[in-house]
Amino acid sequence: MNNEQLQIFLDSHGADPAHWPEAHRAAAERLIASDAQARAIFVQAQRLDALLTQAHDAGAEDAAAAARVLSRLTALPPQKRPFWHWPLVLLDWQFAPAWPRVAALAGCAAIGFMVGIAGLDRKFERYDSLQNVTAGSDIFAIFEPEVLTGARP
Amino acid sequence: MDDSDEALMARVARGDQPAFRVLARRHAPAIVRLARRILGNAADAEDVAQEAMLRVWTHAPRWQPLAAFKTWLTRVVVNLCLDRKRRAPWVELEAAGEITDSAPVASELAESDERERLLQRAIAELPDRQRTAIVLTYSEGMSNAQVADILDTSVSAVETLLVRGKQNLRRALGGIIDEGD
Repeated sequence: MNNEQLQIFLDSHGADPAHWPEAHRAAAERLIASDAQARAIFVQAQRLDALLTQAHDAGAEDAAAAARVLSRLTALPPQKRPFWHWPLVLLDWQFAPAWPRVAALAGCAAIGFMVGIAGLDRKFERYDSLQNVTAGSDIFAIFEPEVLTGARP
Repeated sequence: MDDSDEALMARVARGDQPAFRVLARRHAPAIVRLARRILGNAADAEDVAQEAMLRVWTHAPRWQPLAAFKTWLTRVVVNLCLDRKRRAPWVELEAAGEITDSAPVASELAESDERERLLQRAIAELPDRQRTAIVLTYSEGMSNAQVADILDTSVSAVETLLVRGKQNLRRALGGIIDEGD
C-alpha cells in the first residue's frame, strides 16, 4: 500500500481502525507507523471525520421540527390495502352458529312438524295420486307380448 | 406488550392509529434530521418527514418485514429527498449565495460558527448522492454495506461516492480541516 492508496482506503472506510477491513488493516497500520506523510494523511482523515461527525450532531431545532411534523399528522388518509385483501374479506365468513340462525332453523322445524301433524299436506297427496292413475287399457297393454319376439314380460 | 417497531407496524397495518402515533413520535426527530442533512433546508425537511410518516401509515398493510423497519424508513426518506432534489430548479451556486435555512433556530446556529457554516456549505454543495452517502455514514453511523442497501447500489459504488465526496470536501475546506480538533 502506498500513500495514494492509503488516502483512498481512509476515504472509503473512515479513519477509525475499528471499521477497517481485516484484509488491509495491517498494511495500513504498517504504512502509517513507518511513513511521516502517511501519518499526516491519517491525521487529516481523523480531523475530517471529526468535523463531519460534529456537523451531524442532532440539534434542538430537529426536536422542534419533529413536533411540528407530528402536529400535522392529525388527519390520516385511508390506508392502501393489498389486492389480495378483498378476497380475504369475502372469505372471512362466520360459520359458527349464532342465535338468530339457530332460532330461524328451530322455527322452520316447528312449522314443518305442525304441517305434518295437522295433515295439511294430504290434499296435495290425493291430487298427486289422481294424476298418476292410468287407464285400464294401458294396464293390459303392459302385459301384451312383444311384436317381434312374442315374449311376454 | 411488544412495542418493537415491527410489532407496532403489524398493529398499524390493521389500522391502529395509536400505534402509528407511537411509531411517529419515536422516529420523527431522526427522519427530520436526516432529511435536513440531505436537503440542507429545514422547511423541505419537515415536508419530507411528514410525507414519509404518511407513507408509513398508508403502506403499512402492504409492508413486509423483509428488512428492519428503520432501514425501510430511511430508504423512504432518502428516496423522497433525492426526488425532491431532482425536481428542484437548478441554481448556479454563485447566484444562490449562502445556504439559507427557513427555520430561524437553524439559521442562528449556522451563523454562530464560521467553521461550521463553511462546513455546512461544503456539504450542501456536494452532488446529491455523494452528500447522501456522507450523511448516512456520519449522521446515521451506517456501514458502507448499509448505505449501499439504502441507496440500492453496490458497496464499491458507495466507497467511490465517499472517496469523491471527501476529495470535494478537502478541496472546499482547505486549511479548515487542519485547524480542527
